[in-house]
Amino acid sequence: MNRAALLWRVASFAVAAGFVALWQLIANLKLVSPVFLPGPDRAWASLVRGFSSGDLWSKLAGTLEHMAYGWLAASIAGIAIGAIIGSSRRMRTYVAPSLEFLRPLPVSAIIPVAIAMLGLTQAMALFVIAFGAIWPIMLATIHGFAAVEPRLYEVARSLQMSRLAVIFKIALPSASPDILAGMRLSLTVALILSVVCEILAGLDGLGHWVLLSARAFRSADLFAGVILLGVTGYVTSVAMSLAEHRLLAWQAAQR
Amino acid sequence: MASAAKRLEVLSGAATPQIAFDGVTLVLGGKTIIENLSLGVQPGEFLCIVGASGCGKTTALRLAAGLYQPTSGKVNFDGQPMREPRREIAIVFQDYGKALLPWRTAAGNVSLALEAGGMTSAERPARIEELLRTVGLPDHASKYPSEMSGGMQQRLQIARCLAQEPKTLLMDEPFGALDAMTRQGLQDEVLSLVAASGATVIFVTHDLDEAIYLGDRVIGLLPHPGRIGIELPVNLPRPRDQLSTREHPEFLRLRRQLFDFIKATEQ
Amino acid sequence: MRANSAKALVLPLAVLVAFEVWARATHLQSDSLAPPSEIVMALFGAFADLSILAATRDTLFSAFAGLAIGTTIGLAFGIAFGISDTLDRLMEVTVEAIRPIPSIALLPIALIALGFGYRMEIVIVAFACVWPVLILSRAAVRSIEPRLMEIARALRLPPAQRVWKIIIPAALPRIFVAFRLSAGIALIVAVTVEIAINPLGLGAGIMLAQQALRPDLMLAYLVWIGAIGYALNILLVVAQNRLFGRAALSGDGA
Repeated sequence: MNRAALLWRVASFAVAAGFVALWQLIANLKLVSPVFLPGPDRAWASLVRGFSSGDLWSKLAGTLEHMAYGWLAASIAGIAIGAIIGSSRRMRTYVAPSLEFLRPLPVSAIIPVAIAMLGLTQAMALFVIAFGAIWPIMLATIHGFAAVEPRLYEVARSLQMSRLAVIFKIALPSASPDILAGMRLSLTVALILSVVCEILAGLDGLGHWVLLSARAFRSADLFAGVILLGVTGYVTSVAMSLAEHRLLAWQAAQR
Repeated sequence: MASAAKRLEVLSGAATPQIAFDGVTLVLGGKTIIENLSLGVQPGEFLCIVGASGCGKTTALRLAAGLYQPTSGKVNFDGQPMREPRREIAIVFQDYGKALLPWRTAAGNVSLALEAGGMTSAERPARIEELLRTVGLPDHASKYPSEMSGGMQQRLQIARCLAQEPKTLLMDEPFGALDAMTRQGLQDEVLSLVAASGATVIFVTHDLDEAIYLGDRVIGLLPHPGRIGIELPVNLPRPRDQLSTREHPEFLRLRRQLFDFIKATEQ
Repeated sequence: MRANSAKALVLPLAVLVAFEVWARATHLQSDSLAPPSEIVMALFGAFADLSILAATRDTLFSAFAGLAIGTTIGLAFGIAFGISDTLDRLMEVTVEAIRPIPSIALLPIALIALGFGYRMEIVIVAFACVWPVLILSRAAVRSIEPRLMEIARALRLPPAQRVWKIIIPAALPRIFVAFRLSAGIALIVAVTVEIAINPLGLGAGIMLAQQALRPDLMLAYLVWIGAIGYALNILLVVAQNRLFGRAALSGDGA
């Protein structure tokens, strides 16, 4: 980062700090009832308290666990199913339109069905998160597999590569930018659905915690939880960016 | 340089052809692309195919590669019918940008052919280095194709094809997208690589000079549907030279003959 | 084309028929599944007593109100950030800090501040709709042909007119793409809020059907929600093609 960019960054942080100060001022002057709006000082104190007592750690771990399991299951299944559909023209003609039809379906609408089948359980949450997160990954994989340069398949044929080798050495790497973009979208979906499932099923996690805090009008705890959820969203998306950057270094060379 | 005995064999037609088209017709989407094409390519021969666009020269090459199956007739390789592509036949595509794996480095792209050939990972690095040196890319092993010029990418594709240790090299207008200087350099490199390996070559081009300069024999195809219109043996001394060969009276005579042929087909 | 769309129907029809046959053959008794014929009957029933129509009205009202508010806010900030590089850079950290908060996490805050009902749902929908519009309209404004901006300067248009007469029309195709994305998000978030907590609309309807152990009605709601999502998407794609031609779809990557 050069000097000018660094200065802008500092200025930008200063502006953000200004907003936090404004928030503090509003809270101190009680322009909004403290029942709804704690100051940043109280939210921060709640964060510190929560982490030092270990409470928040376990809630955070719960949410991360829901998110990670659901997302990983969705990634594996999404890539596998997407690869099968994407690499066969016949499958694409018969199956892809149905998937496109299901795509705009608000995935949360599957929650009641999942509850009816699995009850208010961890299994229900995992199913819902995986079901919601699978779509972007699967559709991106189908697209990526369908868009592999045909010339590369000819190269593979003239090298008499096995079907497995073609998938792992040609199709998957070629589709990887699409797949990773899909996985990034799914990460957000997984976080949202984790929170919703925790709220609905009372599963241990930040979603449940913020709801309980709201019900008890503990606004400082509530804000602490929301901030933590924002941090979770931010950190996971940054981690995903780094992974993409790593895995797609060859694409940077292309530009 | 292929041995004198081999060259003699080629010219006398004593050996069985390595690639033989026997009355090949190809119909694609209701259109006859190639009709009743018969043609033998001897082991070690350098055959060039020219023709106006749409004459099916690329299609003929894809038939030889086993990427297409003839609608009727036969394509044989070493006396065996071609049912699918095989590793002894390497293809250099014109669009090198599409035929290289963008996510693999130069070394990785060469490695692909070695992996497909079942070479162990311990043996590969030395072989990759050797091949990259052969095509003049020893210092570019860790570059991605997108970081290389067109000429370098085409060299890389040739290196990958050489990694197959092919008996036959099929080249589809390999230098069509390159500038004139790069092109001449690569022509000479291909000649010496082929001479060293003794591979049979079918080289498709729309550049008549290039065809005569490189080939032992030049075939001109007629369009709609593709069939042989002219066949010229090229009796120019080897090794060839960009200046003296191109000024040779025989070169000029062949050039004139081919030029008239192409001109006639376009009318 | 026609043959292909016929092929596209093969799979869903086959699944429906197989399910119907299986359900009848096994005399299916379930809290979570119902044969397609019963789902259709339940859907007709819900139409007949107008319950599903009222729920649809509630959900769409919240979704569209939130969409309108979110789009307006997103557009205002997006255009401002697109025009002024200084403003964009100064706000960068603030935007990056707020954006990753999952919209649904605001639910408890909205709940204690506003209580159950339309208002809290609209606020959450609006929050979710701000971001795609902000990001895409900022990019759209930045990519306006510089020549156009020079013309605006040469004509000495005052800033407000510059925005109205040059910037918005030039960026409109891509802004509409953002609007389309946000409309999809609005419906999803509205239904999600209703399912999670808010006792109104389609989301509450489907939860009630589940709790009443009426799988036929629950699945009828699911089908209906899917149909609305699909129809909304088609409508917006058609509108986009009509208004801006195919060119606008190229901005679809996001």
